Amino acid sequence: MTDLPKFDTHEAVDFVIVGSGSAGGIIAKELSGAGFDVVVLEQGPYRKAAEFTHDEVDVIFNRSLLGGGPKVSGQTFRDYANKIARETNRPPAEYAQTVGGSSVHFTANFWRLRESDFKEKSIWGSIEGTNFADWPITYEELEPYYTKVDWEIGVSGAPGPFDSYRSKPFPMPPMEINSSGVLMERAAKSLGFHAQAEPLAILTRAHNGRAPCINCGYCMFFGCEVGAKSSTLAAMIPLAEASGHCEIRPECAVFRLETGANGKISEVLYFDPDGKEQSQKAKAVIVCANGAETSRLLLLSDSPRHPDGLSNSSGFVGRNLMFNSHSISQGIFEHQLNEYKGVQVTRIIHDFYEADPGRGFYGGGGIDARAFMSATPVLHALTSLPPDTPRWGAQFKDTIGHSMTRTMTFATGSTSLAQDSNNITLDPTHTDQWGRSAIRVTYKDHPDDLAMATFLQDRSMELLEAAGAEQSWRWPVAPQAGGNHLLGTCRMGNDPSTSVVDRYHRSHEVKNLFICDGSSMVTSGRGQPTMTIMALAFRAAEHIGKAAAAGDI
Amino acid sequence: MGNQPMDRQDTSRRNFLRGGVALAGGSWLRYTAPGIAALAQAACSAQEDAAAFAILTAKEATEFEAIAARILPTTDTPGAREAGVIWFFDQSFGTFNAGNLQFARSGLAEFQTAIDSGELFSDLDEAAQDAFLKTQEQTPFFNMIWFMTLTGFFGMSKYGGNRNDIGWKLLDVDPGMHAYQSPFGYYDAEYMKEHADD
Repeated sequence: MTDLPKFDTHEAVDFVIVGSGSAGGIIAKELSGAGFDVVVLEQGPYRKAAEFTHDEVDVIFNRSLLGGGPKVSGQTFRDYANKIARETNRPPAEYAQTVGGSSVHFTANFWRLRESDFKEKSIWGSIEGTNFADWPITYEELEPYYTKVDWEIGVSGAPGPFDSYRSKPFPMPPMEINSSGVLMERAAKSLGFHAQAEPLAILTRAHNGRAPCINCGYCMFFGCEVGAKSSTLAAMIPLAEASGHCEIRPECAVFRLETGANGKISEVLYFDPDGKEQSQKAKAVIVCANGAETSRLLLLSDSPRHPDGLSNSSGFVGRNLMFNSHSISQGIFEHQLNEYKGVQVTRIIHDFYEADPGRGFYGGGGIDARAFMSATPVLHALTSLPPDTPRWGAQFKDTIGHSMTRTMTFATGSTSLAQDSNNITLDPTHTDQWGRSAIRVTYKDHPDDLAMATFLQDRSMELLEAAGAEQSWRWPVAPQAGGNHLLGTCRMGNDPSTSVVDRYHRSHEVKNLFICDGSSMVTSGRGQPTMTIMALAFRAAEHIGKAAAAGDI
Repeated sequence: MGNQPMDRQDTSRRNFLRGGVALAGGSWLRYTAPGIAALAQAACSAQEDAAAFAILTAKEATEFEAIAARILPTTDTPGAREAGVIWFFDQSFGTFNAGNLQFARSGLAEFQTAIDSGELFSDLDEAAQDAFLKTQEQTPFFNMIWFMTLTGFFGMSKYGGNRNDIGWKLLDVDPGMHAYQSPFGYYDAEYMKEHADD
């Protein structure tokens, strides 16, 4: 076992990485593996797999993996900029605070983007009132890194009929089909759709020294107790530490990037676990804190040279927030599905992935069959009963008892359009537990986004009927007051006036600042962004490493 | 923020989850790990029937339990009473739910005042209790009790409720199991047979 390094805060390390999640964990592993000295500042604690539990009271209701939720984060929400943002009970920008970030608690659905995603504006045309744009990179450029994710992070799956090409097969077969997957597959066949195996960042075979999934059923919202879920905690952080060049500093909350006279970042200011201010000197900084936290940090790092926030002369820091749109349709079946066992999703439908002018609005998405809230007891009882169920009493109790093992959900994920009016800003009055200005979320789904979610929900209801549901119902599609896909807020692009970083994730304005996470995405994809964030991270790390080796930082 | 009630929206089942990705929870649920650890330790003693409540008076406990017992009544299967939901109430008010204790107490007082006959809720017969609850089911107080009853009944027994896994037995699940093998349910078992030769 390599001794873990402890770097001197007064000596500039090669890189400080802010955030240890899907992007930060990968970049830390890549750069430390290449011999660079790396300090990772993570505001959450360093939990190991053995500490993860099936405890709904702790994880869901006390939000232990989320750092406590809005009451300590101070986050606020409003739908329009002319309103005063208010505290909410649900975090409007929801993400895990733990080493490995949200890759620890996510459901692990793992879709690649397609060729079309990167050049959709060229295909579809402009959309008035939005910042809909092509990416500065193509699928061809990112494909090798998707494949790297498949093999290094660990992805199970099988190719689907509409997938973009892959240069190497999946490293392991998909999960065994579960009952909701069977029902989707049958229904799809009868309706002329195409169900395909779900790619998952969950191991079905031992891989890179990690154990496969034991089907415990606690993927969504929970950490994986055997490390079979391919979080960066399971797949990357151990390798980063084994390099001898990476120091993970948990419970360290960054509040400012300080720039020196030469216009470069000189040090990273943060609160240590005791709440004391510390400063780590750095030759370069890579911000991977997620679309909400990354934006806040740049906005907090304003200075005379950067009066509107660091790297924000375009005004695009925090702008174009995209949550992805969603819909939920549920059904009860005659026999037990027992969706509390195994992973959430084993089958998906991508027949509606591409935008189709024939629908009369922009958008595309996918449908998945899943346990959803019926995977765990308290959430099922609180949220997933048929709407005509009495709210309390004997029949209420009987319905809860009968339905948990017989309920399934068709969940849809679809596009969000980039809009100026959807953004992350600093709340003028609220602060978080560290005293940083709170994240203020302003968000209203574009009408096309809601139309696409409704379109997919209509298909979901047809599928439930075709699958033979005894009863089915839908949750109304309505504007979202929060999300956990935090995309687009520091987008990549070739034009410094309409983007924050270049095609290699370097700030257009600060030479030794790099940004890579969901904020880099130019469009939202169809609702499963983590695979793309991880591929971008592998690609960014390669280019950042090359630049550093060439002295070009 | 200590004594903010959960507002109606938070506890209504329909509105609990927005956008398909949300988590449930109210202001009372903000306490984190240290509280939970203390709670788990305390649960051992709380589960002995003879043990005294840590926070609630016997009178309060009787009323809260009577309400919980109409939300999840004892039928041919055990209900909130048998599952020890009231012990979850007591434990949580002593730890992560402490911020709502005062609201729960004042809510209970108002709740009682609304009973025309002046009787205690626990003294009413079941039909009268149900008729009265129908007039209260939109109040923040009822919503809080509803939420706590379900969380106590179906959550882990270390929090005081779900005794003898009564909640999980009702659901016909065993979350104590940490590993399963497919087939998991009826439809995938059937599928497996159909595709046995694939």
